[in-house]
Amino acid sequence: MIDREQASAALDDINEMVQRVRQSRIYQISSVVIIMWGVVLVLAYIANYTWPRQGYTVWTVANLTGLVISVAIGVITNARSGIQPFPIRSLLTFVLIGAFGVFCSVVLGHFGSRQIITFWALYGMLFYAIAGLWFGYAFIVIALCTSALTLIGYYYIGAAFLLWMAVVHGGGLVLGGLWMRRSS
Amino acid sequence: MAELDDIIHQPLRLRIMAALNALPPGAGLEFARLKKLTGATDGNLGAHIETLSKAGYVAVEKAFVGKKPQTTVSATAAGRAAFARHVAMLQEIIAASGR
Repeated sequence: MIDREQASAALDDINEMVQRVRQSRIYQISSVVIIMWGVVLVLAYIANYTWPRQGYTVWTVANLTGLVISVAIGVITNARSGIQPFPIRSLLTFVLIGAFGVFCSVVLGHFGSRQIITFWALYGMLFYAIAGLWFGYAFIVIALCTSALTLIGYYYIGAAFLLWMAVVHGGGLVLGGLWMRRSS
Repeated sequence: MAELDDIIHQPLRLRIMAALNALPPGAGLEFARLKKLTGATDGNLGAHIETLSKAGYVAVEKAFVGKKPQTTVSATAAGRAAFARHVAMLQEIIAASGR
């Protein structure tokens, strides 16, 4: 028979394993979504650079595509594992975050295209950083690196800003997602 | 008071069962991921999975993904029940010593 300390240590071991498995599964699912968004953003930035007057259409199509694929990944993951990665409350949270972003960038702020791109990149990364407080430091690292590079681009990169963002925002998300997959 | 399950109580086997039990029923973990999660070596992990498998606590499935062999381990219903009993026993020991 074991004593109280040994029993307590065994339970701590069990809790630690449960946390590790939980984080690993979150990283596995999130990394697919993050890589997909990275690819969508790279294509959108390049399209916006190529057709600057079509920015509104490019970003509407890109965001809708990303949303539809994200939901599809959620539904497939749910069907395969029985885990619900996007419960209704999470979905509503994303809708509210998105709506607030639109309100700030379109209604309150009269941003130019450079400002609006920087705003959405930083705004998205803010929620990555917040997610990192719950789900693991990888989100925080991705958020800090991407935000820093976005601000460098905003202040110091001239006409090639959209291409810079394709690399640091889109490419950064792809690299971050691959890193999360490796460490999951 | 009931006895602790000796098969599960060994530290690495406890970690393996805790990891597998954290998954939804029927889901499994690949050997490589289980190795990473538990921090075990290949040989050590293989030996302890074998012990758990012989006890009927885990199911081992070997398949080829492309040309690579992949081993997936999942907790059986008996394994989940034994793990739940073991955790209840640990909690009972802590509660009893606090009285």
